[in-house]
Amino acid sequence: MTTDLIHWLLYGGAMGLIVIGIVGVVTLNNIFRIVLALVIAEAGANLLLVIAGYRFDAIAPILTGSSVNQLMVDPVPQAMVLTSIVIGVGIQALALALVLKVYQNYKTLDIREIHQRLSTDIDSNSGVISLLSSEQPAGERPLPEPSAQNETAQLNQGGDK
Amino acid sequence: MNNIAFNVALPLLTAFLLPIISNNSKSAARFIGPFVLLAMLGFALAYFNMLEHPIAIALGGFRPPLGITFHLDNLSLLMACIIPLIMLLLWPYANKEGYREESLLLLLAGSASGLALSSDLFNIYVFYELLSVASFGLAAANRTGAAFAATFRYLVMSGLGTVLALTGIGLIYTQTGTLNLAHIGLLASQLNNPVGLSAFALIVVGIGVKAEIFPVNGWVPEVYSTASPRISALLAGLISKLAVLVIIRLLVVAYQVPEALNLLLVLGMLGIFWGELSAWRSRDLKRMLSFSSIGQLGMVLVAFSIPGEAGMFAGIAMMLHHLIVKPALFMLTEYWNGAIDKLKGAAKSSPLAAILFMIFALSLIGVPPLPGFWAKLLLVNGLVEASASLYITALVVLLTATVIEAHYLMRTAIHIYSKGKKKQRKKLHQTPFNLTIVSVFAVVLIVALVTLAPLGNKLNKIAAESSDRALYINTTFSTKQAPMRKQTSLDQQMSKVQ
Repeated sequence: MTTDLIHWLLYGGAMGLIVIGIVGVVTLNNIFRIVLALVIAEAGANLLLVIAGYRFDAIAPILTGSSVNQLMVDPVPQAMVLTSIVIGVGIQALALALVLKVYQNYKTLDIREIHQRLSTDIDSNSGVISLLSSEQPAGERPLPEPSAQNETAQLNQGGDK
Repeated sequence: MNNIAFNVALPLLTAFLLPIISNNSKSAARFIGPFVLLAMLGFALAYFNMLEHPIAIALGGFRPPLGITFHLDNLSLLMACIIPLIMLLLWPYANKEGYREESLLLLLAGSASGLALSSDLFNIYVFYELLSVASFGLAAANRTGAAFAATFRYLVMSGLGTVLALTGIGLIYTQTGTLNLAHIGLLASQLNNPVGLSAFALIVVGIGVKAEIFPVNGWVPEVYSTASPRISALLAGLISKLAVLVIIRLLVVAYQVPEALNLLLVLGMLGIFWGELSAWRSRDLKRMLSFSSIGQLGMVLVAFSIPGEAGMFAGIAMMLHHLIVKPALFMLTEYWNGAIDKLKGAAKSSPLAAILFMIFALSLIGVPPLPGFWAKLLLVNGLVEASASLYITALVVLLTATVIEAHYLMRTAIHIYSKGKKKQRKKLHQTPFNLTIVSVFAVVLIVALVTLAPLGNKLNKIAAESSDRALYINTTFSTKQAPMRKQTSLDQQMSKVQ
């Protein structure tokens, strides 16, 4: 009875960590915090895997050579979790390197600002007037000549601020 | 006999050795990449030629379900052949100094081959992660602020997808106690419950980040318009197909239930809807093509959601068609990268490129007699035959999407063929090297058109083989490899189940 309760508590905890991580990634604005939320979600997934193979009445899955036939914990999920932790560390390091690079280029950690800068960068690279401005109607319109276009782009930027 | 393992091991090894080789000899580092890709192609082709019926190779000599197996059938070997071929076409030959991009590309080739061949869920997860890391590096290779920001958003979405997929794999493990795809297929009845189905949904959404599936494809337009066209071509053409391949393997082997099929169908329809409408709305070529690729991937998903052989046939045809057409179109954006309005006069400055664009655009829309038409026809036939109300809705969505597709692609074509100012025209000139690569894709498309009947037969055979669940399971459990350990109780249990 109690082991059952603990089991469900652990499952709930793992799921909870995953949910906290996902909610964090979706709602947070600071990109460093987003990386941390990702780490929490990964921890949840790893915990879920470990619990999947765990038994309270079993020993660690190490062959000691003794002939005692005792129940062992399932070693497969543990091997998997080891791999996925290592992979996770790699991904997190890469994410932090990217955070650094983004900060060096855009001088901000706010995901909304980064997204906006990214959109305007892509727009200006391809020579399209930014669609982010609320005054700009969507759909196909005849674009103004390049000189006028630059002015409109500037006006739009001014309007946004 | 286990040569096919080299398809994974060789590129991975070379990828990590490349920096050292480059330190010693720059010229050796330049040639070793294409050489390894050619070797991969050779191994894959050798198997492809002698393959009569699917085989499973137990790596390390342990028999399934405990050992890890590679599943070699026509579909996975076809992908294993296509991977080095496309890599060779899109290889950065002009890059004289660097080894970074080459190294990442080899990493991508190795992990992609592993993803295509592996039949073990956890192996698939590891290869998928390797693939992700390589593609992050390639997406950020331009080293501009926009590229870094786009890659960061891609990484976060992909990381979240990985967590979901890993959770899904964990849930499948709790239900079946195994990770081998064939063994999971054997125990499929245990997965037909809320936990099993949510595991499938989690894996679809998780792996779907790479497959540009509807709710998790926000990164697509950003990455494709900041990365260099070669990388966009690779990601849109090849990598998305490999992710789809993983999903359909799981679908065929373990989830032939209406709930799973309907999930794919609905996600596919939403993808078509969102992708095509956004493509219609976007006003520069790169973003238009990236949204259109979301729409096309939606169509592939809809095709695979049709139960049975017909759906598999249509799906494989759509997949291969998109695999040829989209990289070629992305390669054209190397010099035609501006707004669509600025493409005026492009046909004057490089007429061949304009003709090639027309061929690919028409095939993408599905104008007969180009291959795209036959692929779409198969999909439409399949949807009509499936005849459930949801499939008919998908048919309506598909045909509407085709009209939208025709509008935005023809709008672009009109701009390309209209007169432009001389000054602007000069920028739109395509280099001969780029044109050669695009022409190779066009030649493949035209050869496919000429040999339509035998190609159709071959694809039909492949579809029949890969939609056969029992064949997949039997193949894995009849591996000839001698066991390196004693028979365990699990083995006896397995033989009883069989």
